Amino acid sequence: MRASTLLSESLAVLGKELISELRSRVALNAIGLFGVTTLIVVAYQIGPYQIQEQDRPHLLSALLWIILFFAATSGLSRVFVKEEDAHTAKALRLAARPLAVFAGKYLFNLILLIALFTLIVPLYCALMGYAVRGVAGLVLVLAAGAVALAATATIVAAIIARASGSTTLFAILSVPLVLPLLVMLIQGTRAAAASAELAAVVPALQGVVSLGGAVLTVSVYLFPVVWHD
Amino acid sequence: MAGISVEFSRVGKRFGARPVLAAVSGTLRPGEVLVVAGPNGAGKSTLLNILAGVLRPSRGAVSYRRGDVDVPRRDWFENLGMASPDMAVYDELSALENLRFFGRLRGHAVADATLGGLLETLGLPAREHHRPVGTYSSGMKQRVKLAQAALHAPAVLLLDEPSSNLDAAGHEAVAALVARFRPHAAVAVATNDPREIAWGDARLDLAL
Repeated sequence: MRASTLLSESLAVLGKELISELRSRVALNAIGLFGVTTLIVVAYQIGPYQIQEQDRPHLLSALLWIILFFAATSGLSRVFVKEEDAHTAKALRLAARPLAVFAGKYLFNLILLIALFTLIVPLYCALMGYAVRGVAGLVLVLAAGAVALAATATIVAAIIARASGSTTLFAILSVPLVLPLLVMLIQGTRAAAASAELAAVVPALQGVVSLGGAVLTVSVYLFPVVWHD
Repeated sequence: MAGISVEFSRVGKRFGARPVLAAVSGTLRPGEVLVVAGPNGAGKSTLLNILAGVLRPSRGAVSYRRGDVDVPRRDWFENLGMASPDMAVYDELSALENLRFFGRLRGHAVADATLGGLLETLGLPAREHHRPVGTYSSGMKQRVKLAQAALHAPAVLLLDEPSSNLDAAGHEAVAALVARFRPHAAVAVATNDPREIAWGDARLDLAL
């Protein structure tokens, strides 16, 4: 009988990730720098006035998620690769149950995404002149997007951790999972920008939550196999 | 509570077409130190990884038994401590933070004074306990690894080249650690060092 609980182990893994990241700042710097740089380039080259009025809702919501996704990819894929590279994975395998490792890493990725969204989205709205009528709807879409993207990134990061060329593999394996997610997130963001009614974002939210829930559920069964084999 | 014995029967391992461990059998008994010796490449580390359950054997079987009762595989890790050259602790954390972390994972909320005492018995002085492990020498890192393996007083202790990177005082500290575990735990030491071979109550020689 283990003396620790799944919750206490998950929180220990999360705490370790946060302390390590705050001291090394590798993922924070990667996603922050990528996000801000891309945003500035997009704002400088396209800006708020170089898009036709009728195209603005579509293009601005798509551009926002392109920036967020690629910035996130540069940081989130590292959670398991760094354990293998630093040879700490074996000690972690022996000490923690697999689900606790997954939960701790997932929560860490979720926090990274929330930090990224908090930094980039307001800046994007200001620099691109992106007027959002349904702020509450946008926050809901962003929250659901963070939950689903973090789940996808965490399980794919676990799968590719022991492979060589893992960054390329991360992008390739992510595509089939992330593509439908991004489409729904872009639709939800566009709906939130166009309408103050929460009901406007519900169809997209349902899709994002369903996909995120499916990825999380599969991960619970898949991760122990991936982690130990 | 009775100690745990580890029985392995005709255990072998291949990596692709390359055999690294022939059919090996034996028992790791509580109150006994089993020395696994043999030339480089004979499969000492592979055998310890198989006994730990972090590597699947290509053939044969391993079982953990408490008295006459099989210990389910899902419970192996909580009864196991391991230190090996292919393991590391976290460079960004201090020695104490590493031990706190692994203690929490194992449900052992050990006081810092106790953790510090464990590190000191392994030869890491108190002034070094709060420095990030990334700034340590390889010998100091080895001491933290050994402390990580021992901190939850496991029933099975697997040590792969435990004195590697250690000076004479470090070797003595490891000998004292093995002596402390010997009365109640099943200990396996994979080594080619004659000083470590001398710790053994039983010996398993692996050949190329």
